[in-house]
Amino acid sequence: MKKKLLKALLYVLTGGLAFFVVTFTVYFFNLDMKLTSAIEPFLLKWYDRIPRNQHL
Amino acid sequence: MAVKKFNKMVNPEKIKGDTRYGDLYKPHGKVRKRREWRGVGDTLYDYSRWLGIMLTLGKFMAKPRNIKFFFRYRWMANYLAVPMMVDRFTQGLRGEYLRMTHEEQDLIIIDVAKLLNTMARADRRTGNDEEFSKINVLVDENEMTAVMMGFPNLKCTSRETPSTYVSVLLNQHAMEHYIDVAQEYGLPGDVCPMPEAEAGVSIDDDAPIFGACAVQCNTTCDGSLLGNGVISERLEKEDGIPVFQLPAPLRHKEDDVQDYAAEEIRRAIAFIEENTGHKWDWDYYFECAKRVNFATKCRNEWLDMNKTDYPQIFGGNLALYTETNYMAICGKVPEFEKCDRKLMKLAEKAYKKRKMAAPEYRHRAIVWGVQSHFYMDFLVWLLNCWGIVPLTDMLSCINTEMIADTDTPENREQAYYDMAMLTEEMIMRNRTHGGYKVLLDDLFEFVEQYNADMIILWEHITCKALDGMHGLFEDRARELGVPLIWVDHQLFDPRVISRQGVRDQVNSYMRTVMQEEPLDPTLEVLDDENAW
Amino acid sequence: MKDLKHLIYFEDLLQEANNDLIRQAQEDGKKCIGYMCENVPEPLLNLPGCFSARLRAPRTGSIDVGTYYLTSFLCEYSRAILERALEGGYNFLDAMVTPDGCTMLNRCVENMELLKAAGKEKDKFFWEYMEIPMKADYNGLDLYVLQCKNHILKPLAENYGIDVSDAAIRKAVAEHNHICELLRAIGDFRKLDNPTITGYEYNVLCLASYVAPKYLIVDKLEETLEELKTREPDPKPWFKARVLVVGSEVDDTDFIKLIEDSGAFVCADRFCYGSLPGRDPIVLNDDEDALTQICSQYMYRGECPRYMNTQKMDGRREYVDKMAKEYKADGIIYQQMKFCDPWAYEKMMGSHILRNRYNWPVLAVDRPYSIGSSGQMRTRVQAFMESIDIKKIQKED
Repeated sequence: MKKKLLKALLYVLTGGLAFFVVTFTVYFFNLDMKLTSAIEPFLLKWYDRIPRNQHL
Repeated sequence: MAVKKFNKMVNPEKIKGDTRYGDLYKPHGKVRKRREWRGVGDTLYDYSRWLGIMLTLGKFMAKPRNIKFFFRYRWMANYLAVPMMVDRFTQGLRGEYLRMTHEEQDLIIIDVAKLLNTMARADRRTGNDEEFSKINVLVDENEMTAVMMGFPNLKCTSRETPSTYVSVLLNQHAMEHYIDVAQEYGLPGDVCPMPEAEAGVSIDDDAPIFGACAVQCNTTCDGSLLGNGVISERLEKEDGIPVFQLPAPLRHKEDDVQDYAAEEIRRAIAFIEENTGHKWDWDYYFECAKRVNFATKCRNEWLDMNKTDYPQIFGGNLALYTETNYMAICGKVPEFEKCDRKLMKLAEKAYKKRKMAAPEYRHRAIVWGVQSHFYMDFLVWLLNCWGIVPLTDMLSCINTEMIADTDTPENREQAYYDMAMLTEEMIMRNRTHGGYKVLLDDLFEFVEQYNADMIILWEHITCKALDGMHGLFEDRARELGVPLIWVDHQLFDPRVISRQGVRDQVNSYMRTVMQEEPLDPTLEVLDDENAW
Repeated sequence: MKDLKHLIYFEDLLQEANNDLIRQAQEDGKKCIGYMCENVPEPLLNLPGCFSARLRAPRTGSIDVGTYYLTSFLCEYSRAILERALEGGYNFLDAMVTPDGCTMLNRCVENMELLKAAGKEKDKFFWEYMEIPMKADYNGLDLYVLQCKNHILKPLAENYGIDVSDAAIRKAVAEHNHICELLRAIGDFRKLDNPTITGYEYNVLCLASYVAPKYLIVDKLEETLEELKTREPDPKPWFKARVLVVGSEVDDTDFIKLIEDSGAFVCADRFCYGSLPGRDPIVLNDDEDALTQICSQYMYRGECPRYMNTQKMDGRREYVDKMAKEYKADGIIYQQMKFCDPWAYEKMMGSHILRNRYNWPVLAVDRPYSIGSSGQMRTRVQAFMESIDIKKIQKED
């Protein structure tokens, strides 16, 4: 039981650590913004293609 | 009036982590190389808040109708830049200052996410929840929402806030497309680009369609008043949403306009009741009024603190938070009261410890005029690059008086006048209208009250109300011997004057007139023309 | 056509802000009240003992000082007025009344006040700023009346002892109406297929009625009306098309002249300082006080784009359509003084709506305060004339 608990705790800690390492890397190296800035031009092209009823 | 000389103050506490902020900028880049290292504690704190923001954004995108909404409206693309906006506003901040900024900014992000969620749900093109749409009352972007303080079950929704106002905060280029659309239809380039962009969104068929009715207001200027006409043309005649125009008197300091203003408030409320079927609730009104008063009390105290040697809540954060809390929230959202309390606690703590937000304070400045919306974090730059402390800005110098907040027959009558006062003295218009005293004379009174030794005067070049005082500002500053730095900009359009163009005006003044060197030379020239 | 007998006389009146008739009226002991916006009810400035002068800056040259104070982003009208004021050009005024109508005019007058650009050595001189309603309704009317009492009648009575009674107001309205009726009658000659008056001539007469004491031009206007009744037109109309000019402040007769020199006939004038609706008589009844009736008519008939309620916004375009039909226009020119915010929007909306909803050929232009003989404007008007011609031919085919 104790072993199981320790194992579970280890999983949680490893998972937590992995989550921290990955997200902190994304955070610190600004990877989130680098990704979204790469997406933006495609999005703008998409918006250009939407039919619009442009008038006053 | 005599301008006091300010002796440079050096921060006894060393700033942890990065101090050369300009090194984080990527040449020609949209985003920065990496986030700032603020020492272990503050970096982990900032990281945790970043996680919170990502969670807010993730929750928003988890709903299919919100995804549909995201792909329908061009301006939604700007929301890709939300975390970067926070990075810009927190540049160089540590300890309590970092925490205060996050408290403010993160709450604003949550509030805007809720607003977007509301819009996506109600919009005829996406969620199309007709019943939900009927509880929405549309208001302008720059409209005091006091008339909604007595409707607990209605939503006060501004379509322009997320589409134009917030978008430019997120991405400096956000409104260029809409400005161009409006100009293609014949609107000249010399009108204020804010109502111009709002008109462009409407013309470009990019405004969500929903709501039981709309209340438009003549804030903040002639352009804003006329721009509403473009929007209502479509809203009222095509979308079938009834519109009430709420005129707030321009000479708002005069006694002989107050009955008119109060009557218009009564009529606006009657219009909302008629079109939504909801009745005005006095209990809720006075509950909101208490929160308005609390926000006013806090703001007054923060501003008093800023008159001392150790200002705490100042700069872009004060401006942005005040705008949101005073105008859009106006006592209706209890979370903002909680935030006020947290901010007060943090500010008092930092004040007791005589904390400083930068390595040096070299000048104390009053920031006047209408700030550049595409570069609202300029005030953080002023502090980090030149050690100029922006003690207060024009948009934060709003109502300081308490309104009636207990339910009595007399106060019910007074409430109409209070709502009228709040609307008349809405952010920006309380200074740009109402006669020259509130714009010209008050500035120099503030210089004295705050022991300022410098004026940073934002000149939004197409703001006619401000431009119209240009020479007199110049004359008065010269007469009183106050260094005045003009900072020209075109509010929503960085193609006219870029962020570097804005900075250059300060750089050249500081180097040539003040004969000073920057605190952080890496910030003097930044390649951020393409940046969000 | 043979020249109008008094045309040169009226043209001369427009050469100076402080014209001969203003001096004459002041010598008669009357007080001159300056104003700059059509939202100030004119009869109230023309009570017995005073007269109105709407400010212009004729023969404007450099506006550098005006630009220093107001920047180059304010309309040239406000800059030119401030410049002229600083040159001492309005020292003849005994008071200045201005509404917070548009921001630029308001700032212009505030600068004049702070720079003490008028009222020197006139200890009873006063500056008054009015709030003008932005919607036409009962609440707006109450405001208008109160503002006129507090910012026109009260200071006039207190400073200059002017009689502001109902009877005095009615007398002023009667005199005002006489001028309006004369100008209406003169203007009706523009409706003829082969008109006996040009748009330029009418513009000169109408403008003079804003800038000179009315009682001193009545006789000349009466004579002009009589003259027009028998004036022989040219054998054939001299113009290619009839146009209605709509838009912001025009006090530059050269602008109308330039349009007419380009082949158009300005058959109607729906602009500030024009006659539509500025020269509509004010009809008073005996049931209500005169002040309320004046304000009511100014408010309901006002075509200023600062009126923001839907009914008024729609009404502005309906009015243009109505006037274009009444004066048999072939096309409409929407003009806006550069940097004028209200008319920038109204020009965009009006020109699109009149073109698309009412099917009028429309030309939308912006212009400086003093146009001189702009080749650019001439080309645009000429091209517009051609487009109207082509449309006419296509219609006939």
